[in-house]
Amino acid sequence: MLQFIGPAAGLLFTLQNIIWINLGVFIGSVFAAIPGLSVILCVILFLPVTYRLSAIPGMMFLLGIYCAGGYGGSVSAILINTPGTPHAAATMLDGHPLSKQGRTKVALKIALYASTFGGIFSAITLLFLGPQVAQIASQLGTAEYFMVCLFGLTIIAGVSGKSMVKGIISACIGLWISCIGSDPMTSYDRFTFGVPRLYLGLDLAVCLIGLFALVEIMSRAEDKKEVLHVDTRKMKDDGVLTPDEKKRIRLPIFLSSLIGVMVGIIPGTGASEASWFSYNTVKNISKHKEEFGHGSVEGIAAAEAANNAVTGATLIPLLTLGIPGDGTVAIMLSALMINGLNPGLSLFTTDGDIMYAIMLGLILVNVFMLLQGKLLTQLFAKVVLIPKEILTPIIVIFCFAGAYSVNKNYFDVGVTLVFALIAWILRKFDMPAVPILLGMVLGKMTETNFRRALFISDGNPKIFFSSIYCIIFLLLIIVAIGAIVRSKMTENKAANKGE
Amino acid sequence: MKKRILSMGVALGMMASMMVGMTAQAAETWTVTCPWAPSGVAAMVSQQAATKSTEYSDDLILVAEAVKGDAATVNTWVASNQAGDNSLVFAGEGLLSITSLLDPAKLQFDYENFAYVENLYSSIFVLSAEASLGLEGVEALEAYVESGEAISVAVNGATGSEAFLAAALFGAMGAGDQLKLVPYESAAEAAQAVAKGETTFAVSHQSQIQETYQQGDVTIVCAFDESALENGPFAGVEGVGEYGYPYFRNRCFVMAPAGTEEETVTALRTLYDDILADEEVTSWLQDTMLLEVDTMTEEDVKAHIENVKAIVEEYEEIVAG
Repeated sequence: MLQFIGPAAGLLFTLQNIIWINLGVFIGSVFAAIPGLSVILCVILFLPVTYRLSAIPGMMFLLGIYCAGGYGGSVSAILINTPGTPHAAATMLDGHPLSKQGRTKVALKIALYASTFGGIFSAITLLFLGPQVAQIASQLGTAEYFMVCLFGLTIIAGVSGKSMVKGIISACIGLWISCIGSDPMTSYDRFTFGVPRLYLGLDLAVCLIGLFALVEIMSRAEDKKEVLHVDTRKMKDDGVLTPDEKKRIRLPIFLSSLIGVMVGIIPGTGASEASWFSYNTVKNISKHKEEFGHGSVEGIAAAEAANNAVTGATLIPLLTLGIPGDGTVAIMLSALMINGLNPGLSLFTTDGDIMYAIMLGLILVNVFMLLQGKLLTQLFAKVVLIPKEILTPIIVIFCFAGAYSVNKNYFDVGVTLVFALIAWILRKFDMPAVPILLGMVLGKMTETNFRRALFISDGNPKIFFSSIYCIIFLLLIIVAIGAIVRSKMTENKAANKGE
Repeated sequence: MKKRILSMGVALGMMASMMVGMTAQAAETWTVTCPWAPSGVAAMVSQQAATKSTEYSDDLILVAEAVKGDAATVNTWVASNQAGDNSLVFAGEGLLSITSLLDPAKLQFDYENFAYVENLYSSIFVLSAEASLGLEGVEALEAYVESGEAISVAVNGATGSEAFLAAALFGAMGAGDQLKLVPYESAAEAAQAVAKGETTFAVSHQSQIQETYQQGDVTIVCAFDESALENGPFAGVEGVGEYGYPYFRNRCFVMAPAGTEEETVTALRTLYDDILADEEVTSWLQDTMLLEVDTMTEEDVKAHIENVKAIVEEYEEIVAG
């Protein structure tokens, strides 16, 4: 490895690469901050640009978009209660409430610092432990994936709000929605009602716009007294974290970065799962559980560190085994292949300097993301100063344009409207929308891995206890359920005492 | 009232500017829609061709676009494009031979809706086996099948080309009843499944199994082609066709809307042929993507579609149950 570091640094530190990194970071930040315009869409749009570049500047540009996109999604989650990307949904839970408390800059700052730490942490893991970590990840099979998903579903309790029953109902709606489309195991259609576009299932980004962005505007429109944006007077916060807050976010950031890396190396999972797992874990161990959902600094730090820690981790299976960790990275794969580089461990010996330049570059990307983010935070924070008469139509148009752009058809615009209506009705019954999202994120993965595992084992459920990894995840599930039960019992006792 | 007018004005202004942006395109620009994942083989080849198009033509510029959605994307394309529109689309045997037979309701088009332009490449799938089985060659596979051992094959999608190739091979060996097809979400996942020991075999593109093979986790048993592979890391691997087993190559045809002028189709075909004759493109396809340049006549294309249809009809019971 060391013999490649010198030449790799030489290849990386060129003016051209620095410019492409910064361009990517800027585009990624802005793109992801707009609801509906996901990171993956941004990478797809700008991929052709890299075909005229050599491997390193091309990858630096795409990594800039990818990493900054991880952070950019938090901006609109914090400012307008609408995650710019699906993986920023967990950030929204505490980011927007903190913003409403007049601490917008603090929320943005925590998101930026946590994202940067998570990104650098995973880049260093990639650099020093990539091949070893990839070997462990490659041992995880269908049964282990199912246990991960099952563990993920325990998060529902944490995002259900006041009523767990309502949360579970919402999650079931999400799980049902994830069943729409072709059955992954047989290709037969389910719940498509003969509508051709439904064969593909519903796109998460499209539903998200309706569930969170449009419904927010519909609800605000009902209340004429309330302004769409944050009270501008509250924007005069100095953006300074108290020493206690700084201390409180350290452990969540570190722990979430670790979780983000662990989730990221498992192909098929992604930043959304990582941010929810981390948010839930940090909430469970926090001494300030009551603050979660009401502007917890730990909540923001956990979600953001995790979703950016995924960025380097998803590159581990890509660069070492040739397996893309998530959809965005799969697209980046083509930027390498177009330059004649077929990722895999053998590439570390044949083109080690290029491989290490890319890995070192990921650290550099995160450094530039921090620098640009510090400047952009000031700019982004001013969004809330835009008069609602101008901001509202801009958000609405971006929502519809975002919904259209995902698959370039008007059907998705209709889906967005339907989801806005569903979310609006749910609000009337005080039912949370976040578990729907969680059900949609985990539903297909859970079902597919469950059925495939049973198919492989000829219906024998022992497959779910067949490896040490399965047992570890099973123990985690038991601990999580135990914590939920204990927490609910404590809440009930407190409520009874109050009466 | 003024605020409402302002809101409406902003919204209308943005909509108008977006509509202008969507419709304003240079007349000589041809958008090539790939209905599969942007990271897939077809999308990458299409992008490469688009990048090269400016080197070979001053009149025709290809712009590659990947809109994942398979039949749904092509349905939309067919509905919104007609002769005279500068628009091309990819269609392969998956749509024209497999879906058209298994689930025709999904398709709102057939071959008659297209004017064939060119086939860019062909991919020869390979059958890999768990390394501990030590299977290399068709005869070793036949012996394994005869021993009555379990046969589980990882494939990309439940009813894709890979599933039918596996069904055709093991079905023709008389082991259709023993065969268990395990569908995965992507070709990469399927290729990994055999290395993890979840299945005994996998069918995949050569490029997708290359790394796993180099790590020593799998052996390559045979290729789904007429004869042994000639190029790349798997050169010398036997073709199932040598033993009389059915096979087909994976191909993706570039299509224009039906009724497109013959002169235009010829110009596009010439452009693609020039690009595919480019040494850089050829070596990239062969060495990196492990594909072959494979230009075809329309008769060849129709024969390919019918060959795959025949295989689908014969082995449908094994795949779709």
